[in-house]
Amino acid sequence: MDDLTEKLKIRLIEVLNMSDITPDEIDENAQLVGGDLGIDSIDVLEMVVMVEKDYGVVINNKDIGEKVFSTLGALADYIRENSPKLSS
Amino acid sequence: MSTKKRPIYIAGIGILSPLGCGIDATKQTLLKNDSAIAPLSADAFHIKQSPPLPVGQVSDIPDSPLPRTHRLTIAAAKQAMKGYSSPPDAVIIGTTTGGILSTEELLIKNETAPEEYRYHGLTTVTEELADVVNCTGPALTVSTACSSGTVAISMALKMLQSGEVEWVLAGGADSLCRLTYYGFHSLQLVDPEGSKPLDVNRKGMSVAEGAGLLLLTTSKPEKPLGQILGCGLTCDAYHPASPHPEGKGAFQAMRNAINDAGSNARTIDYINLHGTGTPDNDLAESKAVREIFANPPLLSSIKGATGHSLAASGALEAAIAAICVQQGFLPANTGCVNPDPELQLTPISVPLNQPVSTVLSNSFGFGGNNACIIISKADSPTAPCQEEEYVPLTIMGKACITGAGHTKNSLETFSKLAAIGGVLDLQTISEKLPARKVRRLKRFSRIALALAAAAKEDSGLEKSPHSVFMGSGWGALSETYDFIDKLQNSDEKFPSPIDFVGSVHNSAAGQIAIMHGATGANITSSGGDYSFEQALLAADSFLDENSPSAFVLAADEAHEQFSLLFDPSISTNTPLADGGGGFYLTKQSISGRISIQLKYYRKQTEDVFDTLVTALNKGDSSLNNCKMILAGIPAAYSKAGEEQLDSFMAKTGLDIPVIHYRKFTGEFASASGVAAVMAAHLLEIGAVDPDKSILVLGFGKYISAMELALQ
Repeated sequence: MDDLTEKLKIRLIEVLNMSDITPDEIDENAQLVGGDLGIDSIDVLEMVVMVEKDYGVVINNKDIGEKVFSTLGALADYIRENSPKLSS
Repeated sequence: MSTKKRPIYIAGIGILSPLGCGIDATKQTLLKNDSAIAPLSADAFHIKQSPPLPVGQVSDIPDSPLPRTHRLTIAAAKQAMKGYSSPPDAVIIGTTTGGILSTEELLIKNETAPEEYRYHGLTTVTEELADVVNCTGPALTVSTACSSGTVAISMALKMLQSGEVEWVLAGGADSLCRLTYYGFHSLQLVDPEGSKPLDVNRKGMSVAEGAGLLLLTTSKPEKPLGQILGCGLTCDAYHPASPHPEGKGAFQAMRNAINDAGSNARTIDYINLHGTGTPDNDLAESKAVREIFANPPLLSSIKGATGHSLAASGALEAAIAAICVQQGFLPANTGCVNPDPELQLTPISVPLNQPVSTVLSNSFGFGGNNACIIISKADSPTAPCQEEEYVPLTIMGKACITGAGHTKNSLETFSKLAAIGGVLDLQTISEKLPARKVRRLKRFSRIALALAAAAKEDSGLEKSPHSVFMGSGWGALSETYDFIDKLQNSDEKFPSPIDFVGSVHNSAAGQIAIMHGATGANITSSGGDYSFEQALLAADSFLDENSPSAFVLAADEAHEQFSLLFDPSISTNTPLADGGGGFYLTKQSISGRISIQLKYYRKQTEDVFDTLVTALNKGDSSLNNCKMILAGIPAAYSKAGEEQLDSFMAKTGLDIPVIHYRKFTGEFASASGVAAVMAAHLLEIGAVDPDKSILVLGFGKYISAMELALQ
């Protein structure tokens, strides 16, 4: 598993205060919103803030948001493709 | 039934909004179908992130040292009270922002002097207003997010109908501030082009400010401006920030309001929609409207003109509804160019000059909080009303949290006359709460949720109550602090959506509703040191045989930075304390169980103890039955409070034990909720004779008296 996905799992647990799970328990290919983790629209918006803050990637369009936050893996891909901070 | 109810007249209207100041200016702008939404100007506050978002801003707010929300409220009150020199018997204000804009400015300046923050609390809006209009009766503050103004008017309606008061000044007010400006933006609920409700291209709301106040009375004025016929309050019990997708709670609130008015849907000839312009709200509301009205009447949202003034909006719109029925015109759905076909509604496209007799006005808010009222022409018959016998609130279960622990530990420690003050660790508070469901919730909401769960467990009842009445002096301090802190530390770039949603005063009550499926009325009162008392009064006003059961709770959290700055009873040497208390109550008389009633709540005046003694000897009560007093004297009023207590004892000649409960609980606003639980416990264990009562008295700027007695 790549570093970015691993980092995102840790940040997700931190930002959404999911102290009852470990990064290993998050499946990067599983449905993120409305799935087993109980993540909803407010959590997604908090992750939007985190992604912009940590990686400089702005997600302010609902349609893009739905694709990007479909799985943690999709989020990692989108950040990799769009982050000025990771481009070097 | 409605024929038994006293008619409630609108005697005065006060209105300040982005449309203008006063009835005439408001009407003129509405007739032009112009939007007053424009980019935020620095007259309100400076921002660090540009370009400024479109907002609804009020110009020409009278200058004074008071915060902006207070000034808006007082200016509207002066309009509403014009021509009336007698003070109202009560004032009720719905607000969510209180003095937060001033607090934000002070925090930016790193101000550390607590006296500078003295207008932060929501209750100060209402108490300042009471002082201006010389009201010595109850000064009640409700905070139910965007339905607050409508809830305040609904509360006035119930109190007037009960016959307890004859004149009430009620409404809502909110000023623009960074918290709401950036908060709604962080939720991606702000339309960058300005709100266009019901339009197919709508993208959100425009945050706004304003104040709307109605002088309401049961005594028919010479020139009544309209009547309030009924109200309906419900809770979605679905999500903290999104409406129920089918508009289930909104539907029921409209239905309840129509029933409360003794009407049917056919009598409604105009609906003032909540219509914020967010995709979800307008869709859910349209479904609810179509569920009730097979052929919906004329309807529009004015929020494309005014923006969404949050707690003020429902009161502003009630005021505008009254102007509509009185002057025979209907405002357009400003901003909507292409109505969204999915909504299947046809909003009014241009202002109409035509008579209208009965208006349904909708307000919905965070926490799934729905409030609807019916406003009509003042020509309803004034049938003599029948006095209804008072039915007591009966305690089915109780719970408290203090520094000593949950209910059992708190009461056992208190029974040994040992201190129970302090700050219980979050893990212990949360031990019986589902970890995953409370992960986003901080201290205040967790205390409240733990209290509700424990009160239900104590009741032994399987079914949760239908309604929630919550009191809190200071609300969600952790979320408010964290939101402002993150905003400031990111040059206003990264406001936290989770903290914003959690920061609203009614977040805890909304969470209780979700966890317990409580779809009835859901009111959060914020009355400083009298917050529990105000929640109890709200419960007594709204509960009836159709919806008898409720959680009535009060909670406050201690916060390292904010408690010292905001709560005047806390100084640098005061050990922090928090927690709360409350009950599972039902409005019915049950022999062998304890009842609780707020018998008195008025401002400290010269004759206060005469009227207090009269109130305590009214009905079945007698001061001679009182065998113990739990006295609450907040540290900020220690000298004055002791004198008040001495005066009361001298006046009554009572020679009974007096327990200063704050010496046990520590200093926090909702300590009286814990004291009420202590009183119930003392009655249960037979600490006083079974036919005697215990009084829980509150002293300070106001005097309150709750009576607990075995039935």
